[in-house]
Amino acid sequence: MTQKASGVFNWLNHRLPIVNTYERHLSKHPVPKKVNFWYMFGALASVVLIIQIVSGIWLMFGYENTEEGAFASVEYIMRDIEYGWIIRYMHTTGASMFFAVVYLHMFRGLLYGSYHKPRELVWVFGMTIYLVMMAEGFLGYVLPYGQMSYWGAQVIISLFGAIPYIGESLEIWVRGDYYISGATISRFFALHVVALPLILIALVFMHLVALHEVGAGNPEGVDIEKHVDENGVPLDSVPFFPYKVLNALVAIGIFGIVFSIIMFFFPEGGGYMLELANFEEANPLSTPEHIAPVWYYSPYYAMLRAVPDKLGGLVVMGAAIAILFVVPWLDRSKAASIRYKGVLSKIAMTIFVISWIMLAWLGTVPVTALRTTLSIIGTIIYFSFFLLMPIYTSIETSKPVPERL
Amino acid sequence: MKFLFIAFFLLLSNSISSAIGAPCGDYGECDSFKPQLNNMESMQLGALTFINHCYGCHSLKYSRWGRISKDLDIPEEIFTNNLVFGKNVKLGDRMTGSMQPNVSETWFGIAPPDLTLVTRLHGSDWVYTYLRTFYEDSSKPYGVNNMVYPGAAMPNVLASMQGQQILSCKDVPIIASNGGVRRDELGNNITEEKCGYLKTIKGSGSMSVEEFDEVIFNLVNFMTYVGEPSRADRERMGWYVILFFIVFTAFAYLLFREYQKDYH
Repeated sequence: MTQKASGVFNWLNHRLPIVNTYERHLSKHPVPKKVNFWYMFGALASVVLIIQIVSGIWLMFGYENTEEGAFASVEYIMRDIEYGWIIRYMHTTGASMFFAVVYLHMFRGLLYGSYHKPRELVWVFGMTIYLVMMAEGFLGYVLPYGQMSYWGAQVIISLFGAIPYIGESLEIWVRGDYYISGATISRFFALHVVALPLILIALVFMHLVALHEVGAGNPEGVDIEKHVDENGVPLDSVPFFPYKVLNALVAIGIFGIVFSIIMFFFPEGGGYMLELANFEEANPLSTPEHIAPVWYYSPYYAMLRAVPDKLGGLVVMGAAIAILFVVPWLDRSKAASIRYKGVLSKIAMTIFVISWIMLAWLGTVPVTALRTTLSIIGTIIYFSFFLLMPIYTSIETSKPVPERL
Repeated sequence: MKFLFIAFFLLLSNSISSAIGAPCGDYGECDSFKPQLNNMESMQLGALTFINHCYGCHSLKYSRWGRISKDLDIPEEIFTNNLVFGKNVKLGDRMTGSMQPNVSETWFGIAPPDLTLVTRLHGSDWVYTYLRTFYEDSSKPYGVNNMVYPGAAMPNVLASMQGQQILSCKDVPIIASNGGVRRDELGNNITEEKCGYLKTIKGSGSMSVEEFDEVIFNLVNFMTYVGEPSRADRERMGWYVILFFIVFTAFAYLLFREYQKDYH
């Protein structure tokens, strides 16, 4: 029996690189032996991606992509499909948690300079994933067709209208109609469930392939490739399987606890994850008092509102995301990790984090004169952090980076 | 340094967020409502009130008759005989209401909204406060106005139970800038007349204030259930899932620690 099985396996392995792939990416793939909890969010992001895909497929069983049926079909899932509510809350909680872990994952990158040579491309692929995720999240948000879906889509799609010359036609082209309608829902549905997930999966694959080519970083910013044994394996590394998989399992367990607390006890997230106004069916004749995006877009929304001109706001918002792509070339520091960078970098990082959180909060609350001023200050700090990076990272003196981990 | 910034930010956010309007309109903060989704008797009584007093105008169109009978432990026969009006209604039907929206719009100026999700849209606190804050106002078409939702196009349907509620004035102590009550030289509290307090005229309704509050509590408890019928299940199951992950994490950690010895 065993002989037969190994015969089949050999037959397969000669035609498909099973052993090679397993060894290269799992059992022999070297990862730094000392990393901290910040290095767990990548694994968690892939867990959430799987949750989103699986729960999304199940939601499609009950969802109806029409103007008349969309809202009611979500309630049908919540009430008439057995355990449909679990699937839906998994998807809505998953959306927020996806952004939460990705933001933490990105912050880890900034903190420990994960974009430093030779990991520039890993960062750029990651940023592209983030960009696609934002589009994916927005499209998905429109599908339940509640009041906030409708008016949120109205605000976002009207941004295209701010583009000179082609704006108005572009707006109609995106909506598929002169106003948001069934045509908009069905194209958003197609993009949300087929087009963007395909792109997302392809990008995640590229992100991982590029990462495995250059190897994972570590909180010290030490280049572990400098000291290798006779087989070329870094001395400060351990094989991914089983060591790092076990590490990830602990993280997944803790994440599971947090995820379940939110999903089972606070699925609305205080109105920040499932907005309360979205419990009312879309009504083109009545604008909600206060239109706010879900929390994960709010920093950009605050920036958009900080600029009085619509096109200006759009440019600022686009630039805020675009600037993240070039971070690998803005950081001139010799040390990758914040641990060995100079005091200027540390101060800049602290102010950046505070202003980002402030912007996130400002994006969720109604506008007042003071808040607009704060949004402007926050936006200036956000851009200064990146635009001044080449200066403060080159004039400060960084501490010497150790040789070994 | 970091803490200074955080403290500054917190202070700032506190002073700004206090500027947001009160959630329950002229009433200010809503009265707190804690749902009891395992209290079957309360939800059954609430269902009775809803069907008898609300369902004439408002639908529960995402909910089905049979689900309510099952979830609230009401035997089908008793449920059908006492709560389901209409010979052609089957228990599997949705509760689409008994009034045509186009007709009701000409009657009321606005079609009475569907109430399936109203407790999720506004919060149970809001609904609980709203239903108890109608007051007499002869300038309005139905002779009543509402503190939570001024100008509401809804008559006070439960007025026969609650009785007449009016806005009244009373003397309240003046609060000094230091937070204490202002007193005159003799040590007596200085008061001023303030208006806008709700007052029920005793004996004008069939119930006392406490009895009426309980009727509304049961009603809103039922409406909270209808807003999300799986909520009690969700909160019950949640504990088991969390417990599973705690055990999972504990074992994963022990295994991780064992393997970590290889390279530490």
